[in-house]
Amino acid sequence: MAATRAAPHAREIFTSLEYGPVPESPTCALAWLDTQDRCLGHYVNGKWLKPEHRNSVPCQNPITGENLASCLQGQAEDVAAAVEAARTAFKSWSAQPGVVRGQHLTRLAKVIQKHQRLLWTLESLVTGRVVREVRDGDVQLAQQLLHYHAIQASTQEEALAGWEPMGVIGLILPPTFSFLEMMWRICPALAVGCTVVALVPPASPTPLLLAQLAGELGSFPGILNVISGPASLGPILASQPAIQKVAFCGALEGGLRLLIQESVWDEFMRRLQERMQRLRSGPGLDGAVDMGTRGAAACDLAQRFVHEAQSQGAQVFQAGDVPPKRPFYPPTLVSNLPPASPCAQAEVPWPVVVASPFRTAKEALAMANGTPRGGSASVWSERLGQALELGYGLRMGTVWINAHGLRDPSVPTGGCKESGCSWHGGPDGLYEYLRPSGTPTRVSCLSKNMNYDTFGLAVPPTLPAGPEIGPSPAPPYGLFVGGRFQAPGARSSRPIQDASGNLHGYVAEGGAKDIRGAVEAAHQAAPGWAGQSPGARAGLLWALAAALERRKSTLASRLERQGVELKAAEAEVELSARRLRAWGAQAQAQGHTLQVSGLRGPVLRLREPLGVLAVVCPDEWPLLAFVSLLAPALACGNTVVMVPSAACPLLALEVCQDMATLFPAGLANVVTGDQDHLTRCLALHQDVQALWYFGSAQ
Amino acid sequence: MSARSRGTELDLSWISKIQVNHPAVLRRAEQIQARRTVKKEWQAAWLLKAVTFIDLTTLSGDDTSSNIQRLCYKAKYPIREDLLKALNMHDKGITTAAVCVYPARVCDAVQALKAAGCSIPVASVATGFPAGQTHLKTRLEEIRLAVEDGATEIDVVINRSLVLTGQWEGSDFIKTSTGKETVNATFPVAIVMLRAIRDFFWKTGNKIGFKPAGGIRSAKDSLAWLSLVKEELGDEWLKPELFRIGASTLLSDIERQIYHHVTGRYAAYHDLPMS
Repeated sequence: MAATRAAPHAREIFTSLEYGPVPESPTCALAWLDTQDRCLGHYVNGKWLKPEHRNSVPCQNPITGENLASCLQGQAEDVAAAVEAARTAFKSWSAQPGVVRGQHLTRLAKVIQKHQRLLWTLESLVTGRVVREVRDGDVQLAQQLLHYHAIQASTQEEALAGWEPMGVIGLILPPTFSFLEMMWRICPALAVGCTVVALVPPASPTPLLLAQLAGELGSFPGILNVISGPASLGPILASQPAIQKVAFCGALEGGLRLLIQESVWDEFMRRLQERMQRLRSGPGLDGAVDMGTRGAAACDLAQRFVHEAQSQGAQVFQAGDVPPKRPFYPPTLVSNLPPASPCAQAEVPWPVVVASPFRTAKEALAMANGTPRGGSASVWSERLGQALELGYGLRMGTVWINAHGLRDPSVPTGGCKESGCSWHGGPDGLYEYLRPSGTPTRVSCLSKNMNYDTFGLAVPPTLPAGPEIGPSPAPPYGLFVGGRFQAPGARSSRPIQDASGNLHGYVAEGGAKDIRGAVEAAHQAAPGWAGQSPGARAGLLWALAAALERRKSTLASRLERQGVELKAAEAEVELSARRLRAWGAQAQAQGHTLQVSGLRGPVLRLREPLGVLAVVCPDEWPLLAFVSLLAPALACGNTVVMVPSAACPLLALEVCQDMATLFPAGLANVVTGDQDHLTRCLALHQDVQALWYFGSAQ
Repeated sequence: MSARSRGTELDLSWISKIQVNHPAVLRRAEQIQARRTVKKEWQAAWLLKAVTFIDLTTLSGDDTSSNIQRLCYKAKYPIREDLLKALNMHDKGITTAAVCVYPARVCDAVQALKAAGCSIPVASVATGFPAGQTHLKTRLEEIRLAVEDGATEIDVVINRSLVLTGQWEGSDFIKTSTGKETVNATFPVAIVMLRAIRDFFWKTGNKIGFKPAGGIRSAKDSLAWLSLVKEELGDEWLKPELFRIGASTLLSDIERQIYHHVTGRYAAYHDLPMS
């Protein structure tokens, strides 16, 4: 409806039965902005912080372009001040009993409830999102999150004994962040005793309002600090010594991909188009619209995508009652997009939906898993068996069956592949912000002269260094890849020295090709290993433990040569065997869990292996560390590529001999060589699911 | 009534293919009132439109000609004249869609409407209302007598034992229930019924009407029902030929809302004529 037309009278409406606007008044949001004289700063340690000489960025209404307020572009000193405040607050906050923290979070939830109108009005006004979504969805879920985590906090001493909060958490928000995603991270962090410094893009007043509400509670001012500043402050935040962990916050959900089976294509498209025609778009603060706007930039992005899709031969259907001007974009359905076209690979912008047909469930899985995005998906089918099969097969963080978008604080959310690697919500989500008690504070190691381009590129040449003196038989020479010892691609080796400086032996010099081969072998073994029952996995780990014990004297004497006393060496071997057995038991114990939550219907939590893990071992404890890192990865169903201790990889190679006989080929692969170079190769390999690094500071 | 549905051959395979995603229906039902609200002039207009869909009903054991007469008068003049004038709607001939009574009272209703000079149809419940557990012979006779007395619409109670054994009948309208059950017109039920109507229309081109009855008491509820039909079936169904609301006290609540819209004040009980 154009704004210029005079409002129709009851007489006309009686005939047309059209909907009218249900505008929510923005006055409370504007009044709040007025309390800051329309000039927002940072919020640190319970107070507004407005340092001088900072650039300011206007915060605009996305529909009218009117300036609502100005926000600061922070600088490094502001970040440092916030981190310092958070660090001081951490000392008292983490020392509180969990119950006290829980009560504080409950108070925060109540404050949000009291000011919810201000919160949703401000968010809707500034971002253009529909007020109904923010009011009934975001704000309610935010309160639920706080209540849920308050309860988690109060039982922390018993339930999470042996774990302590990490420290100060840095949170970085992207330009189109979602208020809810931010809460998903703040709540567990605060609940377990961490304090938070959030870096928000300028022109976002909602986090500042949240921080003010938290700060005005009085008791613990520094637990939530918000700095508004450009993305370039991100590395500065991460390199602050007090920051223990940096969390990235997700952006608002974009468009969707629909995969529809051919046999129901026509019927489905008809119903979808019918429903699209009923959608209404308008200003976010109108209570009777379904969609708002996400700003001019998002509108342009959508338009570009649709034009490109059309030029590649796709059909476009647009419908709905939408104001014709920028920045409103109608809901759009794109179909018949050729799968090989660039649009089919790109991320779908909001509010576009791309529909593609498939013939069999297998094809659908291949299409769905064939994108780098792995956040969430929903499967719709009346056949339970098929729905579950697809659910298991999809590599996504969350799969809903016959529903979409259901969220609950007790159900973990996270993603796979490019959609992120952290999990939030539920009892598991707390571990993101915990570490075992007694772990020393992590010292930031962002070295100033880090050059990513040259790190680990060159391998120093190695020359013969004297006769090998050692117990015979010497371990086989080569890299342990694909179940056997192979010669390295580079055809050279490096000397390993023992404690007295004599030559202990030569090991192969692995390079990029060898890494590639190792990762391939690991991937080949991965499906079979993941498909093994937990009992079978436990059995293999126990068999390896027994083999280690049989080999005890050889291992102990090698350790002795590295300067370890005999008694300690034997103890190390025994401990290694014990660890293997312990992880074997763990493998058997873990399983899937069925959870009941506030949502209608059960929640099934599947623990899935990641895939191929790369591990770079530390120099110390050449045997124990190797085994301790190998075991958990295998126990959970992953296959590994290990780079053993640089100081003495021979211990690892001894273990490989047993693995050669016991393990399926490719399950565990060991590549020796220059640690930095191999790390670089592994990090750059795009098909390694995770990398555990215990190497040098760089 | 507009052109009647031509009907179609009974195809049992359609019925066996029906699936309902119950949790999804419940979720949509929860959102209905939040999704589409109307305020101010829109609300006033929609409420007046809702009045034109009402089957003004009285189904009590103590119905006599006097309360039927009052009811019929109210059906002809549902909203106070001055309120209609204020909205410039006094000349639109706003009446309820029909008057719904027991078969024995059809005569009284027809007479009362004639005396009031009103041409709205008289609907009669029939066929052993409300349980439907009477002989087919008496049920058919009931319908015949009601029609002879002047009823032009019949609310038929289907034989539920036939339904439960899979033997189906056809109709022009489907109604949520008699209105005398413990649970009557709820949104989840309505969503399923409306989708069925839509599917039938897509398959055969026939439009079947919808009537929720029982438990619709507040003006706010009636607005939700209107927007539900508009969202699921579209504006074509928002006509008395295809949509009716079976209600009795709803009308007074609508009148109070309109009073509030026009005067800005809340009416006392005695300010508005009783029905």
